[in-house]
Amino acid sequence: MPVSTHRPVAVFKVHPAIFSIVALVALLLQTFLPLKLPLARLMDFPLLIAIYFALMRRDKVYGIALGTGLGLLQDALSHDYIGIRGIAKAIVGYLAASASTRFELESLVARTVLTGVFVLVHNLCFAALQHALLETPHPFHPIDIASSVLVNVALSLVLFQILDRFRHPA
Amino acid sequence: MRPVQTLDRDGPDMPAVIRRHASFVTLLVVVSAQILLLSLQIIRPNHVRLIRYWAVEAFDPLERSLGGLMNVGSTAYGTYRHLWHAEQENQELHIQLVAAQAQIQRLGEQAGETERLRTLLEFKNQLGYQTMAAEVIASSLGENSNALYPAGIDIDKGSDSGLTTDLAVITPEGVVGKILAVFPHRAQVLLITDPSSGVGVTLAQSRVQGILKGGSNSFCELHFVMNEEVVSRGEAVVTSGLDQIYPKGLPVGTVVNVGDGNIYKTIGVKPAADLNRLEMVLVVLKPLASEQQALNGIR
Repeated sequence: MPVSTHRPVAVFKVHPAIFSIVALVALLLQTFLPLKLPLARLMDFPLLIAIYFALMRRDKVYGIALGTGLGLLQDALSHDYIGIRGIAKAIVGYLAASASTRFELESLVARTVLTGVFVLVHNLCFAALQHALLETPHPFHPIDIASSVLVNVALSLVLFQILDRFRHPA
Repeated sequence: MRPVQTLDRDGPDMPAVIRRHASFVTLLVVVSAQILLLSLQIIRPNHVRLIRYWAVEAFDPLERSLGGLMNVGSTAYGTYRHLWHAEQENQELHIQLVAAQAQIQRLGEQAGETERLRTLLEFKNQLGYQTMAAEVIASSLGENSNALYPAGIDIDKGSDSGLTTDLAVITPEGVVGKILAVFPHRAQVLLITDPSSGVGVTLAQSRVQGILKGGSNSFCELHFVMNEEVVSRGEAVVTSGLDQIYPKGLPVGTVVNVGDGNIYKTIGVKPAADLNRLEMVLVVLKPLASEQQALNGIR
């Protein structure tokens, strides 16, 4: 549901300590959880964190910085080249912050659909960058992408509810 | 005074556009920086870093174009140098050609002169007279209504060489004239075509004798031949030797036209010697001893 441009939109923040802890936990889970749970390889906790905070802050530069920071840290903790996830998450952070000013984010449906779209965009960007920069022969796996979208959307339903408890209006 | 309002016809200035799309510009900067970071890390299968690969790919067309331009320039310069050398060589060859042509002409002249001298020498040896070769060094022209004709020539021998007046001047082709005036180093020759000249002649076939005088042009006229004498065109005219100047039997010319007059025929004679192209002549000095005895016997 699009938001009227004349109506003031709500901006939310969380305490910096909580934000730091959430980001740190997301990165740790992203690093160690796939080792214990194979399904977790489809999950992208830093991505969901970036989407959530970009949507809440409704600030594009913030979304870019958050996505870039989380993506670079995620790359640094992985064995991939540093920058691929940074680029993908920077784009998603920008798009999420842009979309946050146009949609009513208190609606669960809107937030879920947007999350699914952003996860899809992230995965497509990631695959495109792999293909363009690393010359990966077949980076696009529709099943994997769809599975990742479904798993992350499902995870966001829980995660965003938890994070909503820590937010407060700016 | 109202301030003059100015309209910005060039549209919004660049900083304003950047400020308006600051977030998007930020995204582009961040993405570009990370792509640069990635290009520094990624190594292609041929052990070349991606940034170097991109740099080479980006600059390769420019380098190729520059190389092509340099090749074109080098080729053009080489062609120019080649043409310049060719031009220099062409000029040198042209100079050599002119010199060679002049040399060929000079050699041709020498060959012609040698041939003329050889002919003259052979003729001299055949004559029973003591002769002296002389070179024509000047020619004076007469003029009538039709053309220029030689009225007299100068030769390079004079009194210092033993020449005197009234000596016959001949060529292998025929009689030229006689010496009119003598100077120490040159002599003037009166040609047989001069109206004031006179040569005792005989028609070779009919043996009719007459006096050959110069006509009004480059031809001569044979005088004192009676109308009843039979003279035909083409008949040769030779010296009779009776004038005491020209030795007997030398060719003088050929009858070219014959007509009857009141008492004497009017006979035109074309000189045997080409008086327009005289270069070397022989001056008859005196008869050889045997010839002199024969002449004395006749007299």
